[in-house]
Amino acid sequence: MAAGYFLTNLSLMENLDFARLQMAFTLGFHIIFVCIGMVMPFFMVVSHKKWLNTRNPLYLELTKAWQKGVAIFFVTGAVSGTALSFELGMLWPEFMKHAGPIIGMPFSLEGAAFFVEAIALGFYLYGWNKLPEKFHWFTGIIIGLSGVASGILVVSANGWMNAPTGFDYINGEFTNIDPVQAFLNPAWFTQALHMTIAAFIATSFAVAGVHAFQVYRNKRPELHKKAFKIAIVFGAVAAFLQPLSGDLSAKDLAERQPVKLAAMEAHYETGTNVPLYIGGIVNEEEQRVSHKIEIPGALSFLAFGDFDAEVQGLRDFPQDELPPVAIVHYAFQIMVGIGTLLMLAALLYFISLRYKNLFKRKWYWLFFVCLAPLGFVAVEAGWVVTEVGRQPWIIYGIMRTSEAVTPMPGMEFSFYMYLAVYLVLALTVTWLMRRQIRVLNSVKE
Amino acid sequence: MLYVVLFFLLFSLLLYVLLGGADFGAGIVELFSSRENKRTTRDTIYRVMGPVWEANHIWLIILIVILWIAFPLYFNVIMIYLHVPFVLVLLGITMRGVAFIFRHYDAVVDRSQVFYNWMFRISSLITPVFLGMSFGALIGGKIILAEDYTKYTFLELYILPWFNFFTLLVGLFYAALCAFLAATLLIGETQGQVRKMFSRKSAVFTVVLVVLGLLLITYGYLEEVKFISDFINNAVSIGAVAISGLLLFPLWRAVKKQHRVVSRYLAGLQVVLVLFAALYAHFPYLIITKEQELSLLEDLPPYAVIRNLAFMLLIGGVVILPGLYHLMRSFGMIKILNTGEDEMGH
Repeated sequence: MAAGYFLTNLSLMENLDFARLQMAFTLGFHIIFVCIGMVMPFFMVVSHKKWLNTRNPLYLELTKAWQKGVAIFFVTGAVSGTALSFELGMLWPEFMKHAGPIIGMPFSLEGAAFFVEAIALGFYLYGWNKLPEKFHWFTGIIIGLSGVASGILVVSANGWMNAPTGFDYINGEFTNIDPVQAFLNPAWFTQALHMTIAAFIATSFAVAGVHAFQVYRNKRPELHKKAFKIAIVFGAVAAFLQPLSGDLSAKDLAERQPVKLAAMEAHYETGTNVPLYIGGIVNEEEQRVSHKIEIPGALSFLAFGDFDAEVQGLRDFPQDELPPVAIVHYAFQIMVGIGTLLMLAALLYFISLRYKNLFKRKWYWLFFVCLAPLGFVAVEAGWVVTEVGRQPWIIYGIMRTSEAVTPMPGMEFSFYMYLAVYLVLALTVTWLMRRQIRVLNSVKE
Repeated sequence: MLYVVLFFLLFSLLLYVLLGGADFGAGIVELFSSRENKRTTRDTIYRVMGPVWEANHIWLIILIVILWIAFPLYFNVIMIYLHVPFVLVLLGITMRGVAFIFRHYDAVVDRSQVFYNWMFRISSLITPVFLGMSFGALIGGKIILAEDYTKYTFLELYILPWFNFFTLLVGLFYAALCAFLAATLLIGETQGQVRKMFSRKSAVFTVVLVVLGLLLITYGYLEEVKFISDFINNAVSIGAVAISGLLLFPLWRAVKKQHRVVSRYLAGLQVVLVLFAALYAHFPYLIITKEQELSLLEDLPPYAVIRNLAFMLLIGGVVILPGLYHLMRSFGMIKILNTGEDEMGH
C-alpha cells in the first residue's frame, strides 16, 4: 500500500521522502531480525533444559539447530543495528543534535545490554562440553533476558519521540534536560509492553510454522513436533495477552496523541458515542470513509471506557498536522485483524492439547504453516501505525521530520543502495535457513 | 563526571582500534596469504576470534552512542559531512559480519564457501581503509562547514574532504596497523610451520606500516596539513612515536623467543602509543575544518546529561568488563579449542 503510494509519486519525491523511505525500510528489516534474536534464545533454552532433564538426543539436536539460528539472527541484527545507529545521525542530523543528549540514557543502557548479550552468546555458542552444564545453560537465559532488555530500551527511546518529556522547550532551545524523565516518558511502558508481546507472538508463530511445514511434509515429524510444541506455547499465551496491552495503548493514545488515534480509526467528525469502523476505504480528499462496518459507540468505549465519551475527530486538528490517514488506518486494520486471527489459532492449539487426534490431521499443520509470516506482517503494520501516525512530526509537537533531515542531496541513491543490499541479505538468510533445515532433515533416525 | 565520559570515549576508541582492528587485520592477513595458507589462516582466525568477534565490534556502537549523547556537535559534523564514507564503512561492516557468520555457520559446506571467503577478505580490507579515510578527513582540514548549502557543489561538500591522497594514506596506514596487530596476535596461537608463516607476515606488515607512517608524515608536512605540522612540532607526540618505533626491537625478540603474552602486549602498547601521539598534539581540537578548529569540549550538553551518561557507563562497565575478561580468558588466551575441528558442526 505504502510502497504503491510512493512508487506512483516517484517523480515528485524529494530528499525527505527518500530519507524516510530508507529509514522505514532499514528499520522494518531490523525489527524482524531483532524480534527473532530476542525470542528464539528462549526456545533454545527450553529445549536445552529438556535435553538436560530427559537426555533425549532429539532435544540436543534441536537446541544446536536453534542456536545456529540464534547466532545468524543475532549477527544480522547486530550489523543492521550498527547501521541504524549511524543512520539516525546520517539521515536526521538535526534531530540527533537536539534529541541525542536527551534520549541518551536508554541508548547507553541498551549498549550495555547488547554487550552482555554478545558476551553471553560467546559463552553459549563455544561453551559446549567446556563450561559446567548448568552455567552453560544459564548463559542461554542471559542471552534471552538481555535481548528483551535491549528491545525495551530502544522502544522507550521511540516512546520519547511520541511523548517528548524531560526538558523545557523555550524559544526553540531544549533546556532543563532531565534524562531519567525522558527515559521514563509516558509512552514507554505501553509501547514496550506491546512490542515485547508482539515479538513473542511473531517469532513464535513463525518458528512454529516452519516446523509445522516439516511435520506436514512428514520429514522427521517426531523432532519437528517437539520443536513446534516448544515454540507455539510462547506465542499462544502472548496472543491472549496482546489485546489487553492494545487496550492500554489505545487509552493512552486517546489522552496523549488523539490525532494518531483518530487517524488509526479514520475518524473525521468529533462527536460522542462514536462508532468503531472495521475495514472501509478512506478518501483523504473528501475526508470520509466508505464501505465500512460500524460498531456503534465502540470507539468511545475503547478510548475512554465510556460509550458516550467524546472522541476528537481529524477535522478538529490543524490540517497541516495530520498524518497520512489512509496508510495509518489500513495498517491498523491489518494489525488488529492478524492479532485476532492469531488469537483464534492459539485457541485451536489449546484445544488440540485436549483433543490430541487433531495433531494427526494434515490441515492442522497446514493451517499453522499459513500463519507463519502473519505475526511479522502485524509487527510491521504496527510500526507503520506508530511511525506514520506521528507524522509530520519527528518529535511530537516539537520538531517536524522535514526540519530534521540531512542537507545532503541525492538520498535516492542511498535508498536504492540500501534496498539492494538488504534484499540480498534477506534472500541469503532465507536460503541459509533452508539449508539448515535440509541438513537437519537428512539425519537418519 | 566529564572525565568519566571522556575516559570511556577514548577507552572504547582504543579498544575498537585494537580489537576491531585485529579483527579486520585477520581478514587482511588472510587476503594476502598464499593459496595453500588461506585455509590455515581461516581456521586459525575462527578458533581465535570466533568467540569474541561480536564483542569486538560493539565498541563502535558504544563510541557512536557516547558521541551523540555527550558530544552532539562532533556527531553532527561527522554525520553530515562524512555521510558517504560512512555508508561505505557500514556496507563493509555488514558484508564482513554476514560473510563471517555464513562461512562458519552454513550447514552445508560447498562451493558457496569460496564466495563467502572472498567477501570476508575484501570487506576486511576496505572497511578499515574507509574508517581511516574518515578519520583523515576530520583532521585533514578540508571539510567546509556550510552556512548555505546551495553555495557549494556536492563534490566540494561531501566528497573532496575525505577523498584525497592524504586521507587515502591515513586509510592505508590504519589497514596496515590492523594487519600488523592480527599477524602478531596469531603468531601466539599457532605452532611450527604456521607460526613461522605468521611471523613472516608480522614482519612484512611491520615494514609496510613503518613505510606508510613515514610517507604519511612526509606528505602531510609537504602539503602543510595543519594536524601533521603540529604533530611534528609536538615533542611529546614525536617522543611517543619514537618509543613505539624503538619497541619494535623488543617485540621482534619476544616474537622470536615465542613469548606469546609479551609480544601481544608490546604490539598493543605500540598502538596505544601511536593513537596517543595522534590525539595528544591536537587535543581537544580533533576536527580541523577549512576555516576553524572544533573543540571536542565545546558546546557540551547540560551537566545533567553528562552526569547521567557517566553513571550509565560506570554501571555498564561494572557489568561488562568482568564478563568480557572471562570470555577472553576462557577462549582467547587459554588454548582449549585446540582440536581445530569445527565445534559447532555436530
